[in-house]
Amino acid sequence: MWNGIKNLLSGKSTRDVAKGRLHLVLAHDRSGLEGGRLQEMRAEIAAVIAKYVPIDASAVEIQIETRSRQTQLTVSSAIQPRNV
Amino acid sequence: MGRAIVITSGKGGVGKTTTTANLGAALAQLGHSVVLVDADIGLRNLDVVMGLENRIVYHVVDAIRGKCSLQKALIKDRRMDNLWLLPASQTDDKDAVTPDEMRSLIFELKTTHDFVLIDCPAGIEQGFKNAIAGADEAVVVATPEVSSIRDADRVVGLLAAADIPSRLIVNRISAHLVKRGDMLSQSDVIEILALEMLGAIPLDDQVIATTNKGVPAVLENKCLAAKEFIRIAKKLAGHEVEAEQIGFFTRIGRALGLSATPA
Repeated sequence: MWNGIKNLLSGKSTRDVAKGRLHLVLAHDRSGLEGGRLQEMRAEIAAVIAKYVPIDASAVEIQIETRSRQTQLTVSSAIQPRNV
Repeated sequence: MGRAIVITSGKGGVGKTTTTANLGAALAQLGHSVVLVDADIGLRNLDVVMGLENRIVYHVVDAIRGKCSLQKALIKDRRMDNLWLLPASQTDDKDAVTPDEMRSLIFELKTTHDFVLIDCPAGIEQGFKNAIAGADEAVVVATPEVSSIRDADRVVGLLAAADIPSRLIVNRISAHLVKRGDMLSQSDVIEILALEMLGAIPLDDQVIATTNKGVPAVLENKCLAAKEFIRIAKKLAGHEVEAEQIGFFTRIGRALGLSATPA
């Protein structure tokens, strides 16, 4: 009952939290990439992209996710408009 | 030629031994000849779960070393004519046997029995490698918890690398907790692991009670967990499995959230 109310307030059940954590942990396990290393990679990739196009290096997002035994790495970054 | 199925999980304490005992007893009840192999050398437990601990004379290491014939190391279950146990050694080390020795032992058992169920030790080291060596297929047991599912995923990867197909049993599901949003459901687990599901065993006090006595639950009563073990055994053996019959009162019970059947 109390948990039900807490879930209602936070909008997320512990079941959903467990699911989210598992998706992430498995993606890391399957790729053999530790969470901390992923952040290092993010910074390096951001620096490479910034060499070619104007971006906000701190806003580059990196995501590793697993669906149906396929693990995907996604890097996304908004390109800043050129000041003509 | 029989089929060798390894029951494994990666993580300890999720119900591998209980699952092995119950599926073995259920398959024997269906008329198949079954031998249960305890591959947990040094930490044997299948003997106590089966209630056969006082009848051990020889064990798997004796049979491999040629101290006795394989037939002599098998213990026949008192309750059934077609159910046998090959106990592990309690004094040897996990590397007392090699994967090759296990492979030929399991092969020999397959020539005399319909099913060889191998109870795998926890972990992914030597004991695991020995346990899967002779297996044709695997049953992976996981409880609906982050740690157990993570380890199950690792084991499924190792089994796939060894060309052993795996199917999943989710153990100790509480419909009540799933409904409240505090437990992963069986469909959550399937979605995460992307594995074929054999069944989901509800969390059931009766399993604890029968295990205390050294009797597999399927032999003693018709509790929900026992029924699910029997259904899974039928599925394993390729019998027709009838869709679950939902009675009027069960329906009302479920509507009120009283049933322990998995959601």
